[in-house]
Amino acid sequence: MLGKVLIGFWLLSLPALAGVDSQWVLEQSTLTYHVSHPLHQSEGVSHAARGKGVCHDGQCDFLIAVPVKSFDSGDSNRDLHMLQVTRGAQFPIVTVRTRVPESACASATIYLDLEIHFAGQTVQYKQVPFQRVAQGTETRITGTIPAKLSDFKIDPPSFLTVPVKNEMPVRVDLTWHPM
Amino acid sequence: MLRNTAYNGRCHVRGLVVVCLFVTLAPSLMAQTDGTGALTGTLIDPSGAPVAFAMVTATGVDSGRVQPAATGTDGTYKFSLPPGDYTMRFECRGYKSVEIASATVNENQTVVLDRKLEVDAQTNSNTAAPAQQPATTPSNNPTAPSLEDLGITPAQAKGSAEAQALLDRRTHMLKVHQRLGLITIAPFAATLISSAAAGGKQTSTTGRDLHAALGATTVGLYFTTAYFAIRAPKIPGTQTRGPIRLHKALAWIHGPGMVLTPILGEIAFAQKSRGERVHGIASLHGPVAIATGAAFGLAVVSVSFKF
Repeated sequence: MLGKVLIGFWLLSLPALAGVDSQWVLEQSTLTYHVSHPLHQSEGVSHAARGKGVCHDGQCDFLIAVPVKSFDSGDSNRDLHMLQVTRGAQFPIVTVRTRVPESACASATIYLDLEIHFAGQTVQYKQVPFQRVAQGTETRITGTIPAKLSDFKIDPPSFLTVPVKNEMPVRVDLTWHPM
Repeated sequence: MLRNTAYNGRCHVRGLVVVCLFVTLAPSLMAQTDGTGALTGTLIDPSGAPVAFAMVTATGVDSGRVQPAATGTDGTYKFSLPPGDYTMRFECRGYKSVEIASATVNENQTVVLDRKLEVDAQTNSNTAAPAQQPATTPSNNPTAPSLEDLGITPAQAKGSAEAQALLDRRTHMLKVHQRLGLITIAPFAATLISSAAAGGKQTSTTGRDLHAALGATTVGLYFTTAYFAIRAPKIPGTQTRGPIRLHKALAWIHGPGMVLTPILGEIAFAQKSRGERVHGIASLHGPVAIATGAAFGLAVVSVSFKF
């Protein structure tokens, strides 16, 4: 009986044993998209991202998720229009996944392969440079994701029959804290 | 006044000395409290166009401290840095990275470091591609965090086709509203211009008829335009912010104006047709039309340009 109990405990503890070496949690975030039109230069900002990083066997997997509707450009009409063109009601969460070797986490410049799920599309961006600055126990990551509307099959919204530029760079400023 | 000044001369002199001392010492006092210099510049591409959102990093040669910044849409960047030597690095996808071994920042001085980035043929090709996920992508890793780990429930992550359809319908109707609004400007302007041949002493019946016809066209287009805005679906939980508030507020001027103007115009038309001068309430036709036109024009401009 005791043997069965011990085996039971051992089986239950397996996931923990096979578990993680370290974890990170997203403490603060600022994500800013930029859209250009001859008459407008618009930016939408979100501070609502959530994120977690799990390091295991020398690899760290990060996931960041942010609601599409959390981006605020200061103009509710524009925000609703962006929500519509990016199919934000149908696909309400943007996710960014990346895997980075644990050793690279100590570099000042980190080149990340990003897998972004947005507007119903999954797109990979290779070798996007990010800057890493250690601030006490926290780590700040900044960079710009060179996103394009066409990557996500988003029709460029137009105003006065002139469409916005295809480029929609997203500035990223993330502060991570070890768990 | 002069006597008072002379009487209080010593105080003034004392005050002047204090002011002079402050003015003299202020820069050094500020320097002591601030003690930084500025490093700024502009990144351009081979055509001379600004390179937006490039990553710029300043690394202290002695301290090793890394400070990141990104260029703005005009290609400019700016650092406020303690005096010292810095290694500068400029990176942007599609361009060759540039590193400058040493840039010296002095206290209270601005160093300008402009650079032209060369196009990198290798990275300039779009490396982003729709998902053909290889086996090693993060999402395939069993230890990778999930949305549930972030506290996002499947219900929150699940979208609503109905909500999207509502947004699509709203956008479609507002696009029609926008186009009709712009089209309305043409007959509106023509109506205002034709008023010169409709209201004066030397006016003809033809001039009045043309003015009335243009006015009627304007009113018809205006209310069709308004219909698409009024009937566009409202999105629950949306708080109106930004220029659209002014756009909506102006509707309270040009809306009633667009009702009142043709009524007053009809009265004025009848008076003129009887050979009378326009008088009474009908004399407000012109001013009301102008106020309506101004409010309408401002409503268009308020959502066309960013202030």
